[in-house]
Amino acid sequence: MKAAPSWVSLLRRTPRRAWAAACCLVLVALPAYGSGQLEAIRQRGVLVVGVKTDYPPFGMLSSAAVQEGFEHDLAADLAARLGVQLRTVGVSSTNRLQVLDDGRVDVTIATLGDTAERRQIATLVEPDYYSSGVALMTRPDSNLQHWSELRGQTVCAIQGSYFNRTMALRYLLNLQIYANGRDAKMAVRDARCRGWLFDNTAIAGDLLSPEWHDYQIRLPPELMTPWAIAIARSERGGALERLVGDTVAQWHRQGTLLALERKWGLPPSPFLAQMQVLWNEKDADGRYLCRRQADGQWPVVCRNQIFVMSADVVGLRRWGLRLYEKTGINLTYIYDDYERREFLHGIAMTLALTFSCVTGSLLLGIALAWLALRTPPAIGAAVRSVALVMRMTPPLLQIYVLLFGVGSAVAARWGLQFSAFWIVVLCLSAYTGSGLMHILDNEAREAWRSTPGLVLDLPGLLHLMGRSSASVTASLVNVAKATMIASAVAVPELLSVSTSIIAEHGNVATMMNTLMLFFVLLIFGVLHVLRRLQSRGDHERA
Amino acid sequence: MNGLEIVRHLYAWTPYLLGGFLWNIAISLVALAMGTAVGHGLASMRGATRGHWANGGRLATALLRNVPTFVFQFYLVFMLPEALPLPFSLPNLPLPAWLKASLALALAVAGFVSDNLSRILAKPPSERRRDLLLLLLNWGNYFVIIVMASSTASVIGVPELISRCNTVVNAGGTTDMMLWVYLYAMGWFFLFCCSASGLIRYCSRHLERRLGMADLGQTEV
Repeated sequence: MKAAPSWVSLLRRTPRRAWAAACCLVLVALPAYGSGQLEAIRQRGVLVVGVKTDYPPFGMLSSAAVQEGFEHDLAADLAARLGVQLRTVGVSSTNRLQVLDDGRVDVTIATLGDTAERRQIATLVEPDYYSSGVALMTRPDSNLQHWSELRGQTVCAIQGSYFNRTMALRYLLNLQIYANGRDAKMAVRDARCRGWLFDNTAIAGDLLSPEWHDYQIRLPPELMTPWAIAIARSERGGALERLVGDTVAQWHRQGTLLALERKWGLPPSPFLAQMQVLWNEKDADGRYLCRRQADGQWPVVCRNQIFVMSADVVGLRRWGLRLYEKTGINLTYIYDDYERREFLHGIAMTLALTFSCVTGSLLLGIALAWLALRTPPAIGAAVRSVALVMRMTPPLLQIYVLLFGVGSAVAARWGLQFSAFWIVVLCLSAYTGSGLMHILDNEAREAWRSTPGLVLDLPGLLHLMGRSSASVTASLVNVAKATMIASAVAVPELLSVSTSIIAEHGNVATMMNTLMLFFVLLIFGVLHVLRRLQSRGDHERA
Repeated sequence: MNGLEIVRHLYAWTPYLLGGFLWNIAISLVALAMGTAVGHGLASMRGATRGHWANGGRLATALLRNVPTFVFQFYLVFMLPEALPLPFSLPNLPLPAWLKASLALALAVAGFVSDNLSRILAKPPSERRRDLLLLLLNWGNYFVIIVMASSTASVIGVPELISRCNTVVNAGGTTDMMLWVYLYAMGWFFLFCCSASGLIRYCSRHLERRLGMADLGQTEV
């Protein structure tokens, strides 16, 4: 109790003031019940923990009306480590932080998401002990692979879920809002929507029930929010926070949480797996990487990244976070190591796609023209027909036919997997190459009209190409513009990478502007290179 | 699944898929209309006697020509609101996904029209007739290309043909039909685009004969 000495001196001075002081002391001490709370718990011999009773399998009532669940087990372990008895109090989503403030419980372990708003109300202890996100419960026959497949589709949700708006905007979902989970699940069963958008841990609980056991969560959870144990706000930086934090760290290191996850039949959480690796990592001296520093804090890498501020870090990250804090522009693809790597990989992939498609179109165009013009008329006609089909159907549809239609048949029969990258290159090159063939075909007809008997060998074809270089360049620029279609079949090029960064951070405007700028520059670059080649060709012919 | 079953299945879904294809055509027509209007404006700017107007027109055209439609579509979907608030207590102007797809496609049309029209407008009026007819044919061919490009609207959730194909495939619950549904859709695009460009070719021959012109040639865009 920091305020105590001044109050004590007041007490000594005058009796009347002492009365007033005593009253104040009582008033002040009530909400500040937490000060030195660890000591109070030890003296009392009982740890009071708030747990949920309506959130299976985390906190629920057994058939004998006894509280049990994943979080109940955590509370029991915490009490055992303290060497005191455990008493649990049922709390709800609305009062779970309130009960800390009015001193009814010492600790709350009640599916509490670690958010900035809640950190204002209570002390949320790091490290976080679990994590939940938004998942989609789908029918047993669903074959969804990516969230992006849901664009424009009807998806069920329930009123008031904090993630409805975010998910609808990120994945362009058409939400059908129900009053409660029961109705939403019925709508999924009756195929009125593609799935039910809800917290993944709650859905996991539903899937344990006999009625829904063959339903599935196919897509990885989004908008992951870690869960934290909460103690009173006044306990920030105190002994209780330190003890609870050290306990959670031990749980991660010893696999306690993973064991409980198995015990309660929860699907394996990637968060717990990652945390176990992270908290067991050791430095060169053989000490844990995640250990308390001199100021009592965990190192930055071991903390919840959302709450890391520019003052906590150095270098590029500090600069990036400061920019974000000042302007709201979140350049994660520059300061975050993982995202920078992904972003650079996306750029490399996009450049490779562009180069392959432009070169492929050019080569295929020349090859098709050669076949059409130099082979017997029957073969020429066949080549022209094939080229017509390739020229008159959308490349996106060609990609789907090859990758999903033919690809799945080939995979089923011979176990071969087509590479999405090369299918995209093939289809775009076929579309543009057959267009180029058409240009050359017309040029050849012109040339034969003026010079009958002209032999169109390879140099002849290249000459024709030079004559129609403006159209050829336009076609090649068009194929460069179309390479981003690859994102539709999950090739990890820049557009795909950017949409996943947006899904992670919600920095829509920053990413979209970056993306547009990059692609406009890329297209101008391609145009520049093609014009250079064109003028060099003109020069050589001259 | 045997051949007859496949045909029956495709037949059953045909009205639904046809509705999707009408979306493709509608999106393309709207894109063509918007793009032509903007392109015409830009071409007039480029023909202006004042230098900075002409430069502005040229720069804007170069930009429109080189913005990738596919990415721009995403850009519009993520950056524009679902409805645009209008002043003077007018009702909000809704901006559905299909309109955003049309807007994205209109960019390329505007670049194309601006380029071709400004070339024609540079000539004396007496020599424009032939070129304008030629532009009309090119414009028709461009429409065919836009119809094919409109298929990319499926990735932003517009219920056009490919998007509806995906729905049909999902409704089946099995992957047996996938190849056939996509091939069927491909057939539709092929028939539509071939007949449209055949019609344009026929018109061009007809004009050739009537106007006694040299070969109007094939258009490449």
